[in-house]
Amino acid sequence: MVHYDIIVVGGGLNSLVTASILGKSGKKVLVLEAKDQVGGMAVTAEFAPKYKCNMLNDTVKWIDPRVMKQLDLVSQGLELVSPDVVRIALDQSGQHILFHQDPNQTAKSIANHSDKDAKAWQAFATYIDNLSQFLEKLYELTPPKLPDLGLKEVLSLRSMLKPIKKHGTRGLVDFMRVVPMMMPELMDEWFESELLRGAVSTAGINHITLGPFSAATGYNLLHQHVHANGVFHHAQFVKGGTENLANALLRSAVANGVEVRRNAVVHSINVANAVCSGITLNDEGIIEAKQVISGLDPHNTFINLVGPSELNPTFYTQLRNIKYRGSVARIHFALNGLPEIKGVKEDQMNTVFSISPSIEYLERAADDAKYGRIAEKPYIEFTFPSVSNSDFAPKRKHVLSATLQYAPYHLRGQHWSDDLKEQLRNNVIKTLENYIPKISSMIEYTSVLSPKDLEDKFGLTEGNLNHGEMTLDQFFFMRPTISSAQYKSPIENLYLCGPGTHPGGGLHGANGYNAAYQIIK
Amino acid sequence: MPTIKKYDAIVIGGGHNGLTAAAYLARAGKEVLVLERRYVLGGAAVTEEVFPGFKFSVCSYVVSLLKANIIRELMLPKFGLELLPLESTFTPLENDYLIRTADPDETYREMYRHSPRDAETYTRFGPLMGQIGMAVRPILETIPPNAIRPSFPDLSAMKKLLNHFKTLSDEQFEYLTKLMTMSSADFLDEWFEFEPLKATMAASGIIGTFMGPRSPGSAYVMLHHYMGDIDGSFRAWGFQRGGTGAVSMAIARSAEHFGAKIMTEAPVEKVIVKNGRAVGVALENGDEYKADKVISGLDPKLSFLKMVDETDLPNDFVTDIKNFRIRGSSGKVNLALDVLPEFTCLPGNGPHLRGAISISPDFDYIEKAYDDAKYGNFSEAPYIDIIIPSVLDPEMAPPGKHVMSCFVQYAPYNIKGGWNDQKREDFGDAVINALARYAPNIKEIILHRQVLTPADIESTFGMTEGNIFHGELTLQQLFALRPAVKWANYKTPITNYYQCGSGTHPGGGITGSPGEMAAKKILKDW
Amino acid sequence: MSYKNQFMAHTQLILSPFFERTTKLNESQEWRRWSGYLAATNYELTHENEYFAIRTKAALLDITPLYKYIISGSDAQQFLDRLVTRNIGICKVGQVMYTPWCDEDGKQIDDGTVQRLANDKFRITSAEPNLEWIEQNAAGMNLTISDDSKTTAALALQGPNSRAILNSIASDSLDSLKFFWMMNTQFHDISVTISRTGYTGDLGYEIWMDPKDALSVWDLLMDKGKSYGITPTGLQALDMARIEAGLILLDVDYISARHAIIEPRKSSPYELGLGWAVKMKKKDFIGKKALKAELLRGPKWNLVGIEIEWEGLENLYRDAGLAPGLPSTAWRTSTPLYHGDEQVGYATSGCWSPILKRYIALAHVKSEFSQLGSKLKFELKVEHFRKLTPAKVVNTPFFDPERKRSCPQ
Ligand SMILES: Cc1cc2nc3c(=O)[nH]c(=O)nc-3n(C[C@H](O)[C@H](O)[C@H](O)COP(=O)(O)OP(=O)(O)OC[C@H]3O[C@@H](n4cnc5c(N)ncnc54)[C@H](O)[C@@H]3O)c2cc1C
Repeated sequence: MVHYDIIVVGGGLNSLVTASILGKSGKKVLVLEAKDQVGGMAVTAEFAPKYKCNMLNDTVKWIDPRVMKQLDLVSQGLELVSPDVVRIALDQSGQHILFHQDPNQTAKSIANHSDKDAKAWQAFATYIDNLSQFLEKLYELTPPKLPDLGLKEVLSLRSMLKPIKKHGTRGLVDFMRVVPMMMPELMDEWFESELLRGAVSTAGINHITLGPFSAATGYNLLHQHVHANGVFHHAQFVKGGTENLANALLRSAVANGVEVRRNAVVHSINVANAVCSGITLNDEGIIEAKQVISGLDPHNTFINLVGPSELNPTFYTQLRNIKYRGSVARIHFALNGLPEIKGVKEDQMNTVFSISPSIEYLERAADDAKYGRIAEKPYIEFTFPSVSNSDFAPKRKHVLSATLQYAPYHLRGQHWSDDLKEQLRNNVIKTLENYIPKISSMIEYTSVLSPKDLEDKFGLTEGNLNHGEMTLDQFFFMRPTISSAQYKSPIENLYLCGPGTHPGGGLHGANGYNAAYQIIK
Repeated sequence: MPTIKKYDAIVIGGGHNGLTAAAYLARAGKEVLVLERRYVLGGAAVTEEVFPGFKFSVCSYVVSLLKANIIRELMLPKFGLELLPLESTFTPLENDYLIRTADPDETYREMYRHSPRDAETYTRFGPLMGQIGMAVRPILETIPPNAIRPSFPDLSAMKKLLNHFKTLSDEQFEYLTKLMTMSSADFLDEWFEFEPLKATMAASGIIGTFMGPRSPGSAYVMLHHYMGDIDGSFRAWGFQRGGTGAVSMAIARSAEHFGAKIMTEAPVEKVIVKNGRAVGVALENGDEYKADKVISGLDPKLSFLKMVDETDLPNDFVTDIKNFRIRGSSGKVNLALDVLPEFTCLPGNGPHLRGAISISPDFDYIEKAYDDAKYGNFSEAPYIDIIIPSVLDPEMAPPGKHVMSCFVQYAPYNIKGGWNDQKREDFGDAVINALARYAPNIKEIILHRQVLTPADIESTFGMTEGNIFHGELTLQQLFALRPAVKWANYKTPITNYYQCGSGTHPGGGITGSPGEMAAKKILKDW
Repeated sequence: MSYKNQFMAHTQLILSPFFERTTKLNESQEWRRWSGYLAATNYELTHENEYFAIRTKAALLDITPLYKYIISGSDAQQFLDRLVTRNIGICKVGQVMYTPWCDEDGKQIDDGTVQRLANDKFRITSAEPNLEWIEQNAAGMNLTISDDSKTTAALALQGPNSRAILNSIASDSLDSLKFFWMMNTQFHDISVTISRTGYTGDLGYEIWMDPKDALSVWDLLMDKGKSYGITPTGLQALDMARIEAGLILLDVDYISARHAIIEPRKSSPYELGLGWAVKMKKKDFIGKKALKAELLRGPKWNLVGIEIEWEGLENLYRDAGLAPGLPSTAWRTSTPLYHGDEQVGYATSGCWSPILKRYIALAHVKSEFSQLGSKLKFELKVEHFRKLTPAKVVNTPFFDPERKRSCPQ
């Protein structure tokens, strides 16, 4: 039997990043992926005969530049494209707001709604860019163990001084002010146009269960703009589909000597007397390793694979208290053509569209989730991935992939069912019809992924794409729990590297990078 | 223009914080003048005979946050401070109720009836919150630093705080972090399962804020309300004999005892600023008073956007003050009653009427009330925190009659279409209807009713937008950011102009703390 | 001279199923709270007869207020083994084990007995409510937990005559029932369970029954016990007996780790003299890692018995012109212990033992000063002034009669 230094459970992006780096450092690494495809959430697949889609994410907000560099993803074939128009906030009358790479262009589009807002735009974009630089630095750190902060930890925080130097203590103060804010508070300070206020606020609620009226949506907004280089609503598409990000990482892992096994379902992580010795596979039995790293979320890792009776009571309580509560659903439509959207040019169709007419609209959608219902008028973000990837659909046909909020995992008085998914689909179509009147007649096939499906198919607890809500109580030294925020769990030799750790969710690989270096240390 | 004598210090506003600051300054031998706009002292801590024979704590109604050292140092008991403990917290439900009393066994058994787990957890929860309250005390008692350019004392105070935090146990630190960031509902969900209990506890996390129990940040407000301290026992609320105005009067008498001069019906029009220095105030009637220091007990919006000219202030400070969030969300309904209300779920008189009565059957109830306000309406079915002062202090009402104080959320200041007489009455009706669900006789026993909307609170008591805390208690408006960065240490960009109201650290409630700390800071700078 | 008892106050406290009897017998009407129940402090105006009943006759105590939980299911034994420090695997059906349990830092939460009622059914008793802790740690296990606190009533019959009384009532002989074992039997047509356990360190039994049978059982015992000197006994006498037996009491001699708030208030079983009940050889249990480390390090504190030496005490009083003053009841105020000028510990409860004629106490002492015979000084107030008087560390139990464990031949 081969003896491994390290077993990585799960073959998601962060797992691959960690595995690659550790492989590169000379460790013997085995990655175990339950499915027949690695990449976790970065999956591109056929959802209807001859129609492909990016299952969960159409765009990549940011990839940790350290990962890009260290694993040389560009030469592994990763190609990112960023359109000039990164987002279009749809307006029923066709006066859309176009978010361009160039803030001056964006301002022009905003001017249709408010001159005042247009004038403020450049300053706002810079403001957010400056503040997100504080997060960038923070994201490169392993969170300190609090409250007993040693000198070493304090010193490790000194990289935070760089943005302070650049933006002054006033910058730091603004950062601390904006992080706990709710969207209407932030917007009141800047803008008056409802459409713009709604469109900007979508960054604050991206993939979370809370509405824009929730404190600390400011944090989520900044999180979306890390490494965005000043482009608000920055978005990049992976050429050939999001799975190519996973493919590049896989190539890098293999090049670094990592063994990757697919269809290898881990049955348990083996722990005795609080020491981890390896894993047991469903089919092949026990594999031992010096260290086990889990890319799964904390619930799956500890409660499902380790088991509650191997966890100390405090840790178990902390794990149980992690909030997941997914409320994002995905819908893919196979269309018989490319729909026309009034006021959008054909060469602008390769962007992200958002239906977010006002903050109140978004909040009302969140209200539904609060009471355990699917949103009647959901917030929808959609793309036509087939526009830039011709192989996604048969000729002249197209795919519309939508991400919608809110569709809560926890429903009241009912469970996720086909009927409810049908209802969700109808709500989406009805909402889309306001902008694409002919949409329903164009649909040939629909695939709905509810949070329950996300849990069942992607192993995401409660369907949460971030492996845990992106809220301040689950941030930095609290992520995933105060006792395991250094990528190391209370169980000896068992580590974490997934989005459940600092700095949270997204297709950026920073978690995996930080984890790998923590383990090497 | 007649100019009278020059004082060491003038305090604008005879709210309890202004009075506290005045008392401390007078106690240190300064000659102090307090100028209050209204005919009575106390600001939002005031007692008025609204209807003949019926006295009301018109705004604030219970006391727990008043700091013990202020009580001691200003000798308040000598001047009439007398707190009568509330006996219980009572949550009426459709066919049942929840009542918590001072007796741990009784409360355990009552809770056990609803949830055995909660009964147990509750015995651990209280001490933990008390402990965390203790843990944050040093912050509350620290003069916030200038975060942009910290002075040497600022740095050493920060170092002291940092060292303090290092002494916290992991558990305390974890829960403190959670309390600073979570919603009260989420926080309580980690501990308890019985909804009426959680909702009632969470309610203290929404009082005075424009948030629902599920809004992140509300847990901090809950903690703020846990920091109450009567006789060292945390979370003990009391009723002041004679109403909360008697607290203010006790402070006023103490201030006078130390030599302060207090004038009522003396509205200040402007702070007189010369060459960037405050030199006195001008009253609306044209009188001017000179002083070395001018201290505003008003909220930040009034202190900086009304009392002085924007041109006397730096731009970024004006922006910060304009951005300071001060949304009002609370109303008050004061009722004169012929007899006591009768609760269907627990008929008759008893300890449940001698405590706080909370209309908070579950989270959804409060959350829906919040939703209404979020979109610009008053709550159709509001959260109500009730006390019946006359059962504790019979002097509040004519013999045999009663007064009932209903603190209500939510009533947004920025209501759609604006507040008017009709809306005020509709709001009052909504409150009575919500009460009648649990105490149906309420409608027949009301002799008089006074309804205060946030607009009324603003116009009568001079609190901008009717915000009871002079500014929301959100994370970005606390400590070194309250009310604005650089100027959280009670100073202002105008030399010799200070602030001491609830809009400064550590915030609102009848604490006396901002007043005390401001006075101490001023004395240090003198 | 006596007056007719007319006390009839309403109470918010719980009344035990024996209350109808105990209230009539409680001449002093002295009650205290015990787990939310009204529990007799003494029945007579002083506790002395009750104390002597424990040691020389038979004392009857209402112990219903104990918290009791039933744990049943195929994982019950495995669960308890993880929960408590003793090895439940070797506990046979019908056996009882005294055991502490800890949090993961090895700090004691509570102590009580585990009764194995059937192969996969146990009853655990505790001083404080433990349902939440038990439930929380049962996650993922196949078992059910029920709160048995109100569904089972219990009496303790303690003292040299206790066996004889039970033999005169029960349908089975208790002669072969060994220390820390239990049996099911009948009192006439009433089913009861009797365990040979207690909190007095004497021969004694605890009788577990359905609350509806409570009064009948009480009456039977009082009736048949009369000739054996059966005496209803309150908590004050019990407190003396348990100190003589060297048995610790939660919230008096230690604070539950769940409620301690600060670290220094917590104690490990090693620090409480319960190291014998921590079984390092069994599989992982809650607190094992920390306890193992502590075992290697050696505990910082030790709970020991101390004796306040007679001569010193007598001399101090003599100097004040008084005969030695002795506490008439057990005390529970923390009292400093010194070695030289340094405070090295504190006594948490103590009493004058009328049987042993020794002044004894239970004390937390820093390990360096806790070995047998270690000489300490005990702080004592003589006529309002603080004095130090010699005390030494002695063996517990202070009182340990042969009859506690033995069976008749
Ligand atoms: C309805 C309501 C219920 C509340 N309930 C409670 C409670 O139960 N418990 C609790 O602890 N807290 C409660 N609070 C909060 C608490 O009452 C306030 O936070 C606190 O009283 C504020 O004190 P202050 O001295 O800072 O300001 P204020 O009380 O607002 O004092 C400011 C003073 O300045 C005066 N003034 C204004 N303009 C001028 C001017 N131009 N010239 C001169 N004077 C001027 C005002 O008349 C007023 O007297 C409640 C508040 C409200 C409104």
